[in-house]
Amino acid sequence: MAAAALETATKELHQQIGLTTDGSQFLTFNLGEELYGVDILRVQEIKGYTAVTKIPNTPSHIKGVLNLRGTIVPIIELRTKFNMQTIDYTAFTVIIVVVVRDKVMGLVVDAVSDVLNIDKKDIQPPPQFGAKVDVSFLNGIGKSNDKLVALLDMDRLLLDDEMQDGTKAPKAA
Amino acid sequence: MSDEFAQFQEAFFEEAAEHLAIVEEGLLALEQHPQDLELLAKIFRSAHSIKGASGMFGFNAVTQFTHKMETLLDLLRTGEKAVSPPIADLLLKSTDCLKTLIEAVKSGVAVDDEVVQRLTTELATASGAQPPAVPQKQSVAAPTQSDSQERSYLIKWTPPEWLFQRGLDPLQVLKELNGLGDLSSVTLDMTRVPDLAEIDPEKCYLSWELQLLTGKDQKTIESAFEFVREDSKLVIEAQPVASSECQVASQNPQHEIRNQQPETVEGGLKPLGAILVESGVVSPAVLEQALSQQKRVGEILVEQKAVTPHQLEQALNTQRQQEAASHTKKTDTTSIRVDTAKIDKLINLVGELVITQSMLSDLGSRFEIKQLPVLLERVAQLERNTREIQERVMGIRMLPIGTAFSRFPRLVRDLSTKAGKKIQLVLSGEETELDKTVIESIGDPLTHLVRNSADHGLEPPEERLDNNKSEVGTIRLNAFHEGGNICITVEDDGRGLNRDKIVAKAVKQGLIGENEKLSDDQIWPLIFRPGFSTAEKVTDVSGRGVGMDVVKRNIEALGGTVSIKTVTGKGTTFTLKLPLTLAIIEGMTVRVGKETYIVPLLSILESIQPKAGTIKTVVGKGELINVRGTYLPMIRMYEVFVLEPEYTNPMKSILLILETEGERVAVMVDEILGQQQVVIKSMEQNFRKVEGIAGATILGDGTVGFILDVRGLLEIARHNTPVAA
Repeated sequence: MAAAALETATKELHQQIGLTTDGSQFLTFNLGEELYGVDILRVQEIKGYTAVTKIPNTPSHIKGVLNLRGTIVPIIELRTKFNMQTIDYTAFTVIIVVVVRDKVMGLVVDAVSDVLNIDKKDIQPPPQFGAKVDVSFLNGIGKSNDKLVALLDMDRLLLDDEMQDGTKAPKAA
Repeated sequence: MSDEFAQFQEAFFEEAAEHLAIVEEGLLALEQHPQDLELLAKIFRSAHSIKGASGMFGFNAVTQFTHKMETLLDLLRTGEKAVSPPIADLLLKSTDCLKTLIEAVKSGVAVDDEVVQRLTTELATASGAQPPAVPQKQSVAAPTQSDSQERSYLIKWTPPEWLFQRGLDPLQVLKELNGLGDLSSVTLDMTRVPDLAEIDPEKCYLSWELQLLTGKDQKTIESAFEFVREDSKLVIEAQPVASSECQVASQNPQHEIRNQQPETVEGGLKPLGAILVESGVVSPAVLEQALSQQKRVGEILVEQKAVTPHQLEQALNTQRQQEAASHTKKTDTTSIRVDTAKIDKLINLVGELVITQSMLSDLGSRFEIKQLPVLLERVAQLERNTREIQERVMGIRMLPIGTAFSRFPRLVRDLSTKAGKKIQLVLSGEETELDKTVIESIGDPLTHLVRNSADHGLEPPEERLDNNKSEVGTIRLNAFHEGGNICITVEDDGRGLNRDKIVAKAVKQGLIGENEKLSDDQIWPLIFRPGFSTAEKVTDVSGRGVGMDVVKRNIEALGGTVSIKTVTGKGTTFTLKLPLTLAIIEGMTVRVGKETYIVPLLSILESIQPKAGTIKTVVGKGELINVRGTYLPMIRMYEVFVLEPEYTNPMKSILLILETEGERVAVMVDEILGQQQVVIKSMEQNFRKVEGIAGATILGDGTVGFILDVRGLLEIARHNTPVAA
C-alpha cells in the first residue's frame, strides 16, 4: 500500500538524518570510562563548572548551590553519588542542568559526550547485581553501535531521601 | 473601544482608586480633627479630580455623584457647614457608593440605583440645597420641576478647528451642559464641512446651536466651555422662560446619557406611571404612593414568612459574592505603583550600564592584547551593573505591608459603630517589606481576622467595664520579620476563646467525641474547620462560620501557617507566619573561613571582640561569655556548620550577640564584612529546607550566600553538644 510505503520511507529518512520516531534521544556523558545517558527532554542546559557554595550539614555528594541567573540551583557530584573515586576537575568538567519535577538541579560530570538516538528495542532492563551494586536509579541499559549507555532514572536519582528530607542529613561532629 | 482608550480608562481606574483612598483616609482623619482645613482641601481636591477625570471619560453617573459630594465638601471647606458625625458618616457612605459606581463602570456590574439615589438626596439635603427631583425607584417626576430661577439660554458654539488635535471631544461639552440643566434642543450645523476630498480629518468643521434650560447662571454655563474657550466662537443668550417647551431635537445626545442616568426620563420609553400621570389618570402623589408599595421579591418573601431576614441577607450576600466573583477576573489589575526613588535609582543604574557598554564597545573596536586587564575590569563592572539592576528590579515588587493595613482604620471604625463597641486600632511594623503578590493575598485573611476580633473577640463596653477593663477595646496589627518568616499578628484584648463553647460545638458537629480529653493546642485549631462558629447570634459582620477556614486555606496556599494564642478574659492573638521568599532583608555579611553568611540585622544586638578571661566553660565543654556581667552561651559557627575557620581562638575572632525569641546567644565568626540589603531566594524551590539556614541570596560577586536562621543554628548547636562532647 502506498501509505505504508510512505511511512517506511519517512522512517528511513528520519533515521538517516538522525531523527527517530520510536525510542528517544539521550544526552550522554562520561564518568571515567563509563557512559551514562539522560533523557534529553530533561536537560535544560550545559554549563562549564564554576565554584559552588557548600551547604552546611548535607551529604558529601551535594556539592553545594550555584547562582543560575538568579535561581539557587543545587549541584550534585555524580561521582560521589555513585561512590566512585573523585578526580580533579578539568576544562571538560561540566554541569548538566536538568529539570526534575519542576526542580532545577545540576549534575557535575567528567565530560559531555554526544546526543544519541536509542531505539526502544535497543534498551534492555537494568541488570541485577543484588545487594552488591545499587542500580535502582537506572532505567535500563541502552545499546548504540558498540557503546553501552546506562540510562538514568532522574526521578529516582535526584528526588530520593536526601533531597526531600532535611532530618536525614548527618549531624556535624 | 480602541485599545488605547481602554488603556487610558485603566489609568483612570487606578487613579480613581488612589483618590478614593485619599478621600477615605482624609474623612477618617477629619472625624478626629473636624477643624483641619488642610485636610478638607485635600479631600476636596481628590474628589474634584475624580469628577474631572470621570467626566472626561463620560462616566456620567460617577461625575454627577461626585459633584454632589463635592458640593457638600465645598460647603464644609468654606465653613458654611461644620463637620459633624452624621455628615462625616454620610460622606464615607458616599465614598463607598462612589467606589461601587466606579467599579460598576469598570466591570459592568449593575449598581443598586436605590442606594445611589438615596445618597444623592441625602447629600443634597445636607448641602442645604433643595433636593433635586430625585425619583423613587422608577422615575415619575415631571420632566423638569418648575424652578423659579430657571431660564432658557440659546447657545451658539463654533469650536476652534484644532479641537480634535488637542484630543478634546465636543460631546463632553454637550454632556456637561446637559448636566447643568435640560439640554432641550441640539442642532448641528454642518454647512462648513468641505467636500470629502478636501476634508482634513483632524479639523473640526462643526458648530452647534443649543437650547439649555437651567437654573444656573451664565457664568456656570460658560465654565462648561472652559477647555475649548480659546478660539471658540461662543454666544450665550438668555431667553424668556416660555421657550422651555421646545421639542427634543433628533441629535439629542441624551440617548446616550440616559443609559447611565436614571433621572432623565423624557424621550424614549416612558414608564407606565409617567404615562398615567401625563394623561391625567392618576395624580403624581397617588402614583408615588403606589410605587412606594412596590417591593422587592426578598421583602415580599420575608413578609410572607417564607424566609427569615437572615436567610434573605445570606442569599443576597451570596448573590453579591457571585456577582463580584464573576467579575474579579476583569477587575484584577496587574499594574504596580512604585516609589519614585526606586525608579530614579534604577534609571541611574541603567545610565551606568549604558556608559559601561559604550566603554566596552570603544575598547573592542581597537583592542590590543596588552589592554586585557582593562577589558577584564570593565567586564567586571558590566557584571556589577547588571546584577544591581536585576536586584533593583526585583525590589520593585516589594511593597511595605502598610498598603495592606491601610484599609483597616475604616473597617474598624465601621465595625465599632455597627456593633456599638469602642474600638481602638493600633498598627505597627507597616514598613516591613513584602512581595506584592503576598500583600495582595493576605488582605482578605487579615480582614476576616480583624472582623472576627471586633465582632466576637471584643466585648461590649458594659461587659468590659464589669470585668475591670478599659471601656475601649484594642485591636493591634503588627508585622515583623522573624526566623526566616514574616509574622503578622492580629491581637485583641477581648474575652478570649471560650474553650467550653468550642468543645460543645465540636461535639455537636461530631468533630470530637464527647469525653475526649484534648489539650488547648488541639482545641483552638477547631475554629478553622469549615462551618464552625460559636457566636451566639449571627450578625452581618461575622458568625456564619465561613471565614476562619478561608483564612487558614489562604495562608496555607501562600506556604504559611496560622496559630492562635488565647487567654480567657484577656484576649486572643492570631499569628500568621509567612515565608519570606522574595522579601528583602537588611543583613550583616560575615565570614567564616572561606564562606560568607548573612545574619539578619534585626537579630543582631551587638558585636564584640572578647577579651581574655571573659570566656568560661561549664562541664568542660559548654562555653559562656561574660558580656557586661551576663553570661551568654557561645556558639562556634564553624563547629555547627562544619567549616574550616581562620581562627579557632575566640580572642582573635568576632562574637555576634544575637537574639531570637527572647533568648540571647553569642555566635563566633571570623570577620564582619559589611551590611547590605539582600533579596531572599528560596532554597526550597530547587532543593529543600536546610537546618540553620533561612534562605539564600546572591552576593556581590555572583556567588550564593546563605542567610542564617538564628533559631535553627541554636537548635543544631543544642542537638550537637552531647554528640560533640
